[in-house]
Amino acid sequence: MTEKIYGSVIKETCLKYTAPGGLNVFMLPMEGYSAAVAQFSARFGSQDNSFSVNGGEFTRIPDGTAHYLEHKLFESEEKDAFSLFAQTGASCNAGTSFDYTQYYFSCADSFRKNLEILLDFVQDPYFTAENVEKERGIIGQEITMYRDNPSWRVFTNLLEGLYSKNPVRNDIAGTVESIAEITEKTLYDCYNAYYNPANMFLCVSGNFDPDEVIAVCESRLKSRPALDIKAEPFDEPLGVNRRRTELAMPVAKPIFEIGFKMPSKNGAESVEDYVYHNILFDIMLGDTSDFFEEMRKNSLLNEEFSVGVFSGRGHLFPFARGESDDPDRVLAEIQRRIDAFKTVPPSKEEFERIKRATYGALVRDYNNVDSVASTLSEAALADAEPFSVIDTAAAANYDKLLEHLYALDEDNASISIISKENL
Amino acid sequence: MRSGILDNRYALNGEDLEADMCELLRECILAPNAENGAFDENITALMKAELIDTIDSVINDKAAYAMQNANKTAFVGEPMELSPNGTHEQAELVTARSAYEAYLRIPERAHVEIFAAGSGDFSAAEDILTGIFSKVQRRDICKLDVVPSVLKPKPVYVTDKLPMQQAILRMYFKAPELSDRYAFTMLSMILGGMTTSRFFENIREKQSLCYYCACTANKSKRVLTAYAGVEPQNLKRTEEAILSEIEDIRQNGVTDEELETARLEIGNQISTLYDSATALIGWHLNQITDEKILSPEEYRAEIARVDSARIQAAARQLALDTVYTLSGEDSQ
Repeated sequence: MTEKIYGSVIKETCLKYTAPGGLNVFMLPMEGYSAAVAQFSARFGSQDNSFSVNGGEFTRIPDGTAHYLEHKLFESEEKDAFSLFAQTGASCNAGTSFDYTQYYFSCADSFRKNLEILLDFVQDPYFTAENVEKERGIIGQEITMYRDNPSWRVFTNLLEGLYSKNPVRNDIAGTVESIAEITEKTLYDCYNAYYNPANMFLCVSGNFDPDEVIAVCESRLKSRPALDIKAEPFDEPLGVNRRRTELAMPVAKPIFEIGFKMPSKNGAESVEDYVYHNILFDIMLGDTSDFFEEMRKNSLLNEEFSVGVFSGRGHLFPFARGESDDPDRVLAEIQRRIDAFKTVPPSKEEFERIKRATYGALVRDYNNVDSVASTLSEAALADAEPFSVIDTAAAANYDKLLEHLYALDEDNASISIISKENL
Repeated sequence: MRSGILDNRYALNGEDLEADMCELLRECILAPNAENGAFDENITALMKAELIDTIDSVINDKAAYAMQNANKTAFVGEPMELSPNGTHEQAELVTARSAYEAYLRIPERAHVEIFAAGSGDFSAAEDILTGIFSKVQRRDICKLDVVPSVLKPKPVYVTDKLPMQQAILRMYFKAPELSDRYAFTMLSMILGGMTTSRFFENIREKQSLCYYCACTANKSKRVLTAYAGVEPQNLKRTEEAILSEIEDIRQNGVTDEELETARLEIGNQISTLYDSATALIGWHLNQITDEKILSPEEYRAEIARVDSARIQAAARQLALDTVYTLSGEDSQ
């Protein structure tokens, strides 16, 4: 049975189909496009580091396991997935985030064949002591590459500053030490627990026939018993873990990232928080705000400054990031700005202007086959409707914006700084 | 200059977005914020400070820093040795007047190409842009003159140090006499342009030497650049492995499977060009220095004709020019 879900402002239609085994499939055919993109995702990311299956004991797994598993899933006993996709010309890859792992391809031809390859290789793990060992050096190099990247370090240090218990504070790829503990058994245990159709979803966009997707799902999806997987609960306090983190690296100018910790929500509520905080922070601090102009004039910020909202399963926070010779002063000025807005809120005209800009950026995402698939995946991951973000942005209202402004605690902030290492 | 707008049918309140965008472009080109032959002093000072920040901050991205420094040696004496943003010292010399004078030279003397792609009919944009350039006295127009990079008599080795854990290797191979750009593109794909490339399969997957090892081909400069992020103690092994892969193609050519895979990969990229206005513009922009601008279909036909012998011939023309490494202070 296929359900039609309509976008209220962009007039697109998404088809939702629940495949055997409980896999939810979201499809958005796009007329006039050549490419098709399919993203097959498991709700298993780096933050899922302690779990129980069917009421058993909690098992703590090494940090970086989800990412390691992603690397290894491309291999099989015969040809690896890259070689199979190469025979059709499709480009394929995978990525691991804090709360999911995703495998995807993009192609102009042979869509059905590519979808079969995708479903087959993700459902066919092949882990041996030898091939798991071989990957350790490659992943070790990836970890090292990120450790040399100040933009990544300022972000991961912010997560540690914001959260004391939430496992989102751990680096996605783990550490060289933690991945040393990963074995083929670790990978099989996690695979068997999380790579279950009921814990996964498939999103397809672009030039394809939905009936073909359904036919491939029906013929290729393996039947697996549904499992009761529970993440080990943690008691994350409302307050930040620490207010300030500083690390010296070779950078030209100190870089910083500031986060305002908020309680996380699910489904439509999380979408609403995401949209309204994006609009709110853009009004207060964005690149067309008085604040930004003033801070630039005073040489406290430059054009690298940006604001946004980082969100995922169990976490959401608005952030401001950039470069400054005095990041602590930037934080103080931002806090003053938020406080001032609570006394004198933004005008309705300003709200409408930023709302239109937000909406425009979201509409542009529908120009791109990859972006559409990603938008569908993000909505599925948040248990939200496929068009919920753009519909919420188009319908945003001023009173609700003020509710979000007054609920924001500007003092519940953490700042992460990468300062200049003397060379 | 680049601008992107929503098609008018998506305007929330029925605004004419195309006309608004064209007016904004007209102001930017013909009526910038300037008085008495100079830009605004305060804005210039701000932009100058931010340009200097941008130039200096290349050190934040180790791969970009390595590329910028390596280019200084690989392309010494050629325009490509320069960073597109210039140097800190050059930026310090910019004034409100010198920036304005430089700006005036752009509409007058620059080689100008205008591209528009997307769902509009662009008639309003065409009228406005034609109107803009009818008001400009065009003279001494810059010639697009890209020549192949000069091969050094013998390879030059350069090492830079920074506090960092991973080392970065960049190897530049030049073929100034090479004329077969299609074979050159295929060679680059097969060596290090896809996930079934020789660098990926043999250096990353089989030898576990690095997380990334790839290459790019600059068809105008006739330069192939291989690059990898590796542990400092594996720099030499990786360098030898890259040389060995090129030598193997010089000796033995490539397999039918490699040819077919590269053709399919390029074909897939070409087939999806029309899905993106930005990609389509990039396709044409990337060919403005070529003798003839090929359509995606013409390009696909040329690629289909490339065989192993032509790739082998292209590989035989490559000569090692520069080896650059960036590594931690304590590494060898």
